[in-house]
Amino acid sequence: MARAGGHGMGNPVNVGIAVQADWENREFISNISLNVRRLFDFLLRFEATTKSKLASLNEKLDILERKLEVLEVQVSSATTNPSVFN
Amino acid sequence: MAIPVEEAIAALSTFSLEFKSLKEHRAAHFVLLDFPNFNHLDLFSFDPNEMLNGSFQRTVSKCRRMCRGPHGLTYRGDEQPDVQGLAVLLSSERYATNSPIEYSDVAAYRLSLGEDTKAINQLNTLIQEGKEMASLLYTYRSCVKALPQLPDSMKHSQADLYLETYQVLDLEMSRLREIQRWQASAASKLAADMQRFSRPERLVNGPTITHFWSMLKLLDVLVQLDHLKNAKASIPNDFSWYKRTFTQNSVEDILQVLIVFCVESLELDFALLFPERHTLLRVLPVLVVLATSSEKESESLYKRVKMNRLLNIFKMIILKSSDGADNDWSRDIKGNMYDIVVEGFQLLSRWTGRIWEQCAWKFSRPCKEPPSDSQHGSTTFFDYEKVFLMFTTQFYWLWTLDILIDYGHLTTYMQVVRWNYTGEERRALLELIGYIKSIGLMMQRCDTLVSEALWETIHMEVQDFVQDKLDTMLRTTFRKKKDLSRILSDMRTLSADWMANTSKGDPEHNSLETEEMRQSTFYPRPVAPTAAQIHCLQFLICELVSGGNMRKPGGLFGNSGSGIPVEDLKQLETFFYKLSFFLHILDYTATIGTLTDLGFLWFREFYLESSRVIQFPIECSLPWMLVEHVTETQDAGLLESVLIPFDLYNDSAQHALTCLKQRFLYDEIEAEVDLSFDLLVEKLNEIIFTYYKSCAASTLLDSSFTYLCDDGEKYFVKPLRFDAIFKLRRVMVLGRTIDLRSLITQRMNKLFRENIDFLLERFESGDLCGVVELQQLLDILELTHQSISKFLELDSYSLMLSEMQENLSLVSYSSRISSQIWNEMQTDFLPNFILCNTTQRFVRSLKGTHHSSQRSSASTGKAYFYCGSHDLTMAYQGISGLYRDFFGIPHMFAVVKLLGSRSLPGIIRALLDHISSKITAMVPKITALQEALPKSIGLLSFDGGIAGCQKIVHEILTWEAKSEVKTEVLHDLKEIGSALYWMSLLDIVLRQIDTTQFMQSAPWLGLIPGNDGQVKHAYSDNTPFTTLLSAATNAVASSPACPNPSSFLVMAKQAEAASLLYKSNLNSGSVLEYALAFTSAALDRHYSKWSATPKTGFIDITTSKDFYRVFSGLQYSYLEESINPSRKQEMLGDSVAWAGCTIMYLLGQQQHFELFDFSYQFLNVAEVENATVSLYQYSDRNKSPNFLQGYEGILEAMRKARRLNNHVFSMLRARCPLEDKIACAIKPSGAPLHRMKFTNTVSAFETLPQRAT
Repeated sequence: MARAGGHGMGNPVNVGIAVQADWENREFISNISLNVRRLFDFLLRFEATTKSKLASLNEKLDILERKLEVLEVQVSSATTNPSVFN
Repeated sequence: MAIPVEEAIAALSTFSLEFKSLKEHRAAHFVLLDFPNFNHLDLFSFDPNEMLNGSFQRTVSKCRRMCRGPHGLTYRGDEQPDVQGLAVLLSSERYATNSPIEYSDVAAYRLSLGEDTKAINQLNTLIQEGKEMASLLYTYRSCVKALPQLPDSMKHSQADLYLETYQVLDLEMSRLREIQRWQASAASKLAADMQRFSRPERLVNGPTITHFWSMLKLLDVLVQLDHLKNAKASIPNDFSWYKRTFTQNSVEDILQVLIVFCVESLELDFALLFPERHTLLRVLPVLVVLATSSEKESESLYKRVKMNRLLNIFKMIILKSSDGADNDWSRDIKGNMYDIVVEGFQLLSRWTGRIWEQCAWKFSRPCKEPPSDSQHGSTTFFDYEKVFLMFTTQFYWLWTLDILIDYGHLTTYMQVVRWNYTGEERRALLELIGYIKSIGLMMQRCDTLVSEALWETIHMEVQDFVQDKLDTMLRTTFRKKKDLSRILSDMRTLSADWMANTSKGDPEHNSLETEEMRQSTFYPRPVAPTAAQIHCLQFLICELVSGGNMRKPGGLFGNSGSGIPVEDLKQLETFFYKLSFFLHILDYTATIGTLTDLGFLWFREFYLESSRVIQFPIECSLPWMLVEHVTETQDAGLLESVLIPFDLYNDSAQHALTCLKQRFLYDEIEAEVDLSFDLLVEKLNEIIFTYYKSCAASTLLDSSFTYLCDDGEKYFVKPLRFDAIFKLRRVMVLGRTIDLRSLITQRMNKLFRENIDFLLERFESGDLCGVVELQQLLDILELTHQSISKFLELDSYSLMLSEMQENLSLVSYSSRISSQIWNEMQTDFLPNFILCNTTQRFVRSLKGTHHSSQRSSASTGKAYFYCGSHDLTMAYQGISGLYRDFFGIPHMFAVVKLLGSRSLPGIIRALLDHISSKITAMVPKITALQEALPKSIGLLSFDGGIAGCQKIVHEILTWEAKSEVKTEVLHDLKEIGSALYWMSLLDIVLRQIDTTQFMQSAPWLGLIPGNDGQVKHAYSDNTPFTTLLSAATNAVASSPACPNPSSFLVMAKQAEAASLLYKSNLNSGSVLEYALAFTSAALDRHYSKWSATPKTGFIDITTSKDFYRVFSGLQYSYLEESINPSRKQEMLGDSVAWAGCTIMYLLGQQQHFELFDFSYQFLNVAEVENATVSLYQYSDRNKSPNFLQGYEGILEAMRKARRLNNHVFSMLRARCPLEDKIACAIKPSGAPLHRMKFTNTVSAFETLPQRAT
C-alpha cells in the first residue's frame, strides 16, 4: 500500500476543526456571492425591460416626428401661398 | 408575471422544495430593499418563495412545451419572446472543475499528495500551452500569398526584398519551431510523469483521478497538435512518432490503467459533458496503439480489456452518429430540481454531442455531386477494421472538425457543407439547435434561483455519504481492517460538516454514537464542497477499492481482491461517479456555456487551406444556410427559429476571441454577420409583406367565385404567425443589441412607398383603362397596410399615398394620378376612343394609334408588388383583363374613388376648358363650310324620289375641295361629344355615390320622403342626431357622478355642426348640368356666327347660315361614307351626334334641325315613296321594290342616326330645359307670334334622374 506509515493525516482532530471552520466560512462567502449574482441578474433584467420600453417609446416618437414633418410641409405649402386663402 | 399562489403551492408540493429557511428570505430581501419601488411597478415580482416556485413552475412547463416545439414562447417583463439563445455568458469561470488555486489547498488535508498535485499542475499548464498552440496552428493562414511578386524593374534590390520577406516569414517560422520544440518537451514530460507514477515501488501517492484526466487531456492536445501540423501525413506515422517517445520508458502498466479507465468511463457513460467523452474517444485508440507496440504487451492488454469491448464502443459510436433525429428525449421530466438540472445537462450534452457527431459524419462523407442527394451506404457495409479506421479519423479530428479524408480525393467545403445537407436535415439541425439554445437559455435564467438548491443537494449527498454511509461501513465491514478504516475516517475528516456541534468534531467519537442521535446531527447547508475536497475524496475511494494498486486485473470497481463486500463497493462506486458530476453542476454557467456552444459549425480553416481561397462565399456558411432554409421554405413552424443561426455566429465569435484569440477571425465573422443580418431583414420583410398582401388579396377576392372555382383552394393563404418576430426589440448579435422590430417597421414603410410608386408608374405607362386595375391593387395594398398596422406602427396609408402622389401641398389640387388621367384624356382618350351609346362604353378606334406601345414598357415588378402569391396575381390579372379594353361605368367609379373630391374638380374644369377651346377652334372651320353652301337651301322635293333627293343633296354639299376641313370638324365634334358623354358618365357615378351617402345620413338628419317625391324635414329645427346627443349630454350633466361634463357638451356642439354640414351637402349639383351650362356659355360667344337671326322675325327656312345646316350636311355625308364598303372610312362613333345635337340644342336649333335635316327629309321621302309604291304593288308584295335597292344601307344608317339624335335631344331636354330661350312661331290661325317661350314637353328619356327644382 502506497500510503503506509506516516502518510496519513497528521492530526485528524485539527484537520477536522479546520474543515468545519472552512465550511462555515464558505457558507458566508457563497451567500454573499450568490446575492451579488442575484443583484447582477436583476440589473440585467431591469436593463432589458427598460430597453424594450424605451424602444417602444422611441417608436412612438418616431411616428409622431414623421407625422409632424409631413404636417409641417403641408403648412409651409399653405403659408408660402397666402393669396390662395384670401 | 406574477404567478398565482395556487400555482406556486402546487409547484411547491410537486417538487417538495424546502426553501423556507430564514436565511433564504433574508438573502432575497437583501436585494429587495434596494429596489422597493420596482415591486410596485410590477417589473417582476421579487418574493423569494413565489419567485422561486413560480419560475420553477415556468421552467417545468417550459420543459414540457419544449417537447412540442423548439421554442417555449414565454414573455418576460419586456414582452420579448425567447427566440434566441444565450447571447453572452456572464462568466465562464470554472471554479469547481478547475481548481482556481491550483489544488494548493490539497496539502491541508495531509494526504501526502504533494507530488501528485505538483504533477497535475505541471500537466495542466502544459495543456493550457498546448491549447494555445493548437489554436495558433489551426488559425494559421499562409502568408506567402500576401507577399508581393517581384517585378522586373526591382531586380536590382532583389536581395533586400528577400531579406525583408525572410524577416516576415521568420517570425511565423519561429513560432512553428517553437511549437515543435514544445511538443517534444511536453511529450517527454508526459512520458516522464507516467513513468514516475507507474513505479509502484516509489512511495508516492497517486496518480489520482484528476491526474488521469490531466494525462488524457494532455495526450489529446498533443495528438491534435501533431495532426494539425502534419495535416497530410497519414495516421500510422504519427503513432510511430509517439511510440518512439513512449517506448523508451516503461509505462505500459500505466497505459493499461488509462485504457481501463477510458473504457469503463465510456461504458458507464460516466462523462457528463460531451467534450470529455470525445476526449476519451480520441485518446483511446492512441493509447491502444501505444500499449500494443509488441506482441507480448498486446497480449497482456487484451487479457485485461477484451477486444470486443473496444470494438463495441467504436461500433456504438459509428452507428450512433449515423442515426437521425432522436425522439427519446421527450420523456417526461420529473423529479426534483437537482435531477432536472442533471437531466438538463445530460440532454444538452447528448444533443450537442450529437450535432458534433453528425457534423463529423457529414464532413467525412462529402457530397460528390451537387444535385444528388443520395447518402453513402449505411455503416453496416463497413467491416470492423474499416469502422475502426473511420472512427479514428473522425474523432481524431473532432476538435477542429477539419477531418482529413484519406479516400484519395480532395474535398471542398462546398461538397461537405453546401450540398451535403438536405432540406430535411437542415430542418432537423435547426430544430435541434433551437432546443439546445432555448433549454440553455432557460437553465441559465434560473441560475441564481436554483444554485442554492443545487449546493444544498450536493452538500446533503456528500454529508449523507461521509456521515451516514461511511459510519455504517466503519462500524460493520471495516471494523477489523485498520488500514482501510483509516482511509474511511480520513474521508470523513476532510469533508464532513458537523454543524456547530463541537462535541462531534471528533469522527472517532462520532462513530460510536447511536444511530438516532447521528441522524439528527446534520441539516443541509447550501455550500458545495471544493474542487480539492472532491479530488481528495475520489483519490481516497480509488485507494480504498484498489488497495493502492491500480494495476490489478479487472476494472476500477471490478476487482474483488480488496475484500470489500459487494454492496459497499456498489455504494462507493455510485458515490465516486456522483462526485465527478458534482463538479460540473457546480460550474453551472460554464457548463451551460460549453454545452450550448455550437460555434464550431462556422469554422472552416482546414478547407480554406486546402481550397486556397481567402474566404468562402456566404452561401457555404452553415449558419446562413439555415437562415436561408427558413426563408425559402417559409415553414410556419420554423419562422420563429430564424434567429437561432445567429447564435451560432455569436458562439463562433466568442470562440474566435476567447479560445483562438484571433482578431482576424472575429472580423471575418463580423463581416459575415453584417451581411447575413441585412439579408435576413430584407427577406423577412418580403415574406411578411407577401404574406399579408396575399391575405388581403384573398379577402378581397369574390368569395362566391372562389367557392365555385374547382381549384379555389389555391386562393386561400396558409396562415403564418409573425407575432414573435414583431416583438423582438432586442436581438443580441455579436454583443450588439438590435431593435429588429424598428428595422422591420422602417423597411416596411419603405416597401409600401415603393409599392405605391410602382403601381403609379405602371398606371402611367398604360392607358386610361388601367385605372380599374390601379384601384384594385391600391385597395389590396390598403388592406395589407391595415392588417400589418395591427402589429407594427406604420406611417398612415393616406399620408403615404399622398406623398407618393406628390399631393401633400395644401394648395395643390392636382396629383400624379389626376395629371396622368388628364394627360391620358387629352392625348389618347379623346382623340382615339369612340363612344358606343348603347353599351355606355368608350372603345379604342381601330385607327387610333395604340400609343401604349410607344411608351416604355412597364417594368415587371416582383410578385409582392402585385398580389403576393402567383395564383392570386393571375386571378386578379384575369379580372382586370376584363376592363382593359374599354372605358365605362366601372372605370368612372375607379376614377372618382382615386381622385376623390379634391382632384376631381380640377379634371372637370380642364375638360370644360377643353370643350370651350375646341368650340373656338371649330369656328373658322364651320365658317369655311358655311361659305361653301349655297345661300339658300330649300326643302327637298318629293318629285324625284330617293334618287332625286340624293342628287339634290349632292348638289348642295359642294365640300369636295374642303374634305380636310370636314374631317377636322368631325373630329372636333367627336372630342366635344366624348367629353360631354364622359361628364354624363361622371354624373351617373357621382349621383350613385351621393345617393348612397344620402341614404346613410337621412335617418340621422330626420329626412323623410314627402308626397310629391320631395324630401321633407321631419323636425323643423333639429335633427335626430343632435337630439340624441343633447339628450345624452343632459342626462350625463345632471348626474352627480359625472364631475366634468364639458366633453359631453363639446360633443353635442359637434353633433350640431356635423348635422349642418351633412344638410348642406344634400343638394349637390349635377356635373352634367353644369357642363351643359358651361358649354352653352361658351357657345353664346359664337352665337351670331352660327345662328342667323331672321330679319323678318319668322323662321327663315332657306337660310344656310345656321349651324344645323352644316351639321346636317356633315351627318349626311358621314352616313353616306360610312355605308360605302369600298372606302375605309374612319369610325367616329356616337359622340359626333352627342356634340352636334348638344350644340344645336343649346343654340335653339333643335326643331329647325328636326324639320330641315337632309337625312330626316330623305327618310320622309323614302317613307312616302315606299307607301305609294306598296300601294301600287299591293298584289305583288313578295317582290321586293327594286327602286329602293341600293338604298337600304343608307336608310338604315339614317334611321339609326335619327334614333340617336332623338335620344340625345330628349336627354338634353331633361337635364337642361331651355325655358328662357325665345323664338318666333306661327299660330294655327297663321298669325305670327313673336318672342314666345319654348314649352318643354316631358322627356321621353325618363330613365335619367330629374333635376330637383
